[in-house]
Amino acid sequence: MSDRTPEESTSTTDQILDLLLDALVERQRARHTAPAPRAGTTGSAWRAPAIEERVNTERHVEPVETKPAPVPVPRPEPPAAEQRRSVPEHAGPASHAMHVAPRPVPAREPAPGDEGWEPPARLPSINMGKMLLRLVILVAVLIALVNVPVNKYGTSLARILPESQALVIRDGLVLKGSGPEIYILDNDRLRWISSLDAFEHLGLTWEDVHLVEDSFLEKFQEGLALHVLLKCGSSPHIYRLENEQKRWIRDIDAFTAEGHVWEDVRFVSCKYLRDLPAGPSIPEDAGPAPEP
Amino acid sequence: MKQSSAMDSVIGRPQTERHGGGMADLAVIETILRNRHHFFIEIRDGVGLNEKMRAMLISSILFLALYGAVLGSTHSLWQTLSSAFKLPLLFLATLLVCSPTLYFFNVLFGSNQSLSQNVALILTAITVTAVLLLSFAPIVVFFLLTTAGYQFFKLMNVAIFSICGIVGVIFLNHGMRIVSSGGREGATARRWVMWLWVLVYAFVGSQMAWTLRPFIGAPSMEFELFRQLGGNFYTNVFTSIGEILGFLVVR
Repeated sequence: MSDRTPEESTSTTDQILDLLLDALVERQRARHTAPAPRAGTTGSAWRAPAIEERVNTERHVEPVETKPAPVPVPRPEPPAAEQRRSVPEHAGPASHAMHVAPRPVPAREPAPGDEGWEPPARLPSINMGKMLLRLVILVAVLIALVNVPVNKYGTSLARILPESQALVIRDGLVLKGSGPEIYILDNDRLRWISSLDAFEHLGLTWEDVHLVEDSFLEKFQEGLALHVLLKCGSSPHIYRLENEQKRWIRDIDAFTAEGHVWEDVRFVSCKYLRDLPAGPSIPEDAGPAPEP
Repeated sequence: MKQSSAMDSVIGRPQTERHGGGMADLAVIETILRNRHHFFIEIRDGVGLNEKMRAMLISSILFLALYGAVLGSTHSLWQTLSSAFKLPLLFLATLLVCSPTLYFFNVLFGSNQSLSQNVALILTAITVTAVLLLSFAPIVVFFLLTTAGYQFFKLMNVAIFSICGIVGVIFLNHGMRIVSSGGREGATARRWVMWLWVLVYAFVGSQMAWTLRPFIGAPSMEFELFRQLGGNFYTNVFTSIGEILGFLVVR
């Protein structure tokens, strides 16, 4: 050991290697003094003299007199992995040498922001800017495409699917199934809008009508139909428009009994009223309807 | 020339590979995603801070506007335009409301960052969220064209926003660690402040989103720029989950 140059001794790795070699030499010496190995001894024991010779040749280690030192009880050599893992408690001075030079434990990598942390090397550009620009253009084109009207009603691709699943159910929702009837949802009941006049009187337009499957309409009970009441300025009578016929409402009691309110009344010209065909009066025993 | 050099420092690219201003603004994304450590170190050192912020602002506004337009496409053209305007507004308004809190609490616990550095860090998180949202846009368009479930679409977007927001917050945490590495004193407290601030940011953001709604627009309702207040974001999400699972009907 003393024949090493100062440069060598400064290196920690060299020191550790020297200690390991010393430990090996000690162990081999101990083996020479011990009884011959039993059958089943691992092959490493047979190579030991050669290793010792090489070590001595290479490092010019002076032969040291064998110490009468503690000789370990002969036992089969542990597998190499086990040797690396642990040192037997009853091992001799060689094992002490191993303890002196503990295996260096790798230090925890410093996290970003910790002292001693170094950022990894900068990665080269992959022209992501250009790729992002293409993605931006693609998304913009997609947005334009799904918003372009594709049929004569001006419906776009994004809004073309049947929408019964997409409806937020609320009072005032106007629904139409496969039939000609149009309903308005009122307090969980479907109220049939009995005429175009009633539809217009309610301030509805075709854009308010949501086409749905018949099965969706079947989920709701039917409520009272929604009629428009017609009146002209020069006549005191009020008529209900139903199936394109005017039905005279006899008096206020009949009016309220049918669930009508004054907001249902729409003023039209008397000529328009007169031209409408007359239907049965309300109530039906009220007699013939007077002309407006 | 000076501005060009500054832009090169923004995007972390050799000066030989120069592009136009718009492209350089987008290229900041590559620096954030691939060389984030260097990006945060530059923020810490105050290198090209204004150019960085400008590039992130432009990129995130562009990406968020596009994603907003995708959201609004379910309803009408007006809703498309409205959401394209409102989504960037949502993020930037939340940034404006919340950044002073982060700055002053950090200063209180020994940070030596400036307000610009704090804003740059939050903008980094917003930019990451925005680019991830943009990457989800084709998927959202696909579902837009193939499903008509309003509640499903709404919840899907809540999930997408959550995922992208969480990744953005992870970036913010990462950046905060690097940028505040100078001041050792109160580092743990500042880390707590950051996480608590993230909670506040999430609450403010969700309430801001509720205030600026609708972004998608219920199909059965008329277009509205802003809907009347009432309820809150969380009850609405739970109600939507309830409707999807068949427990209740949204009115």
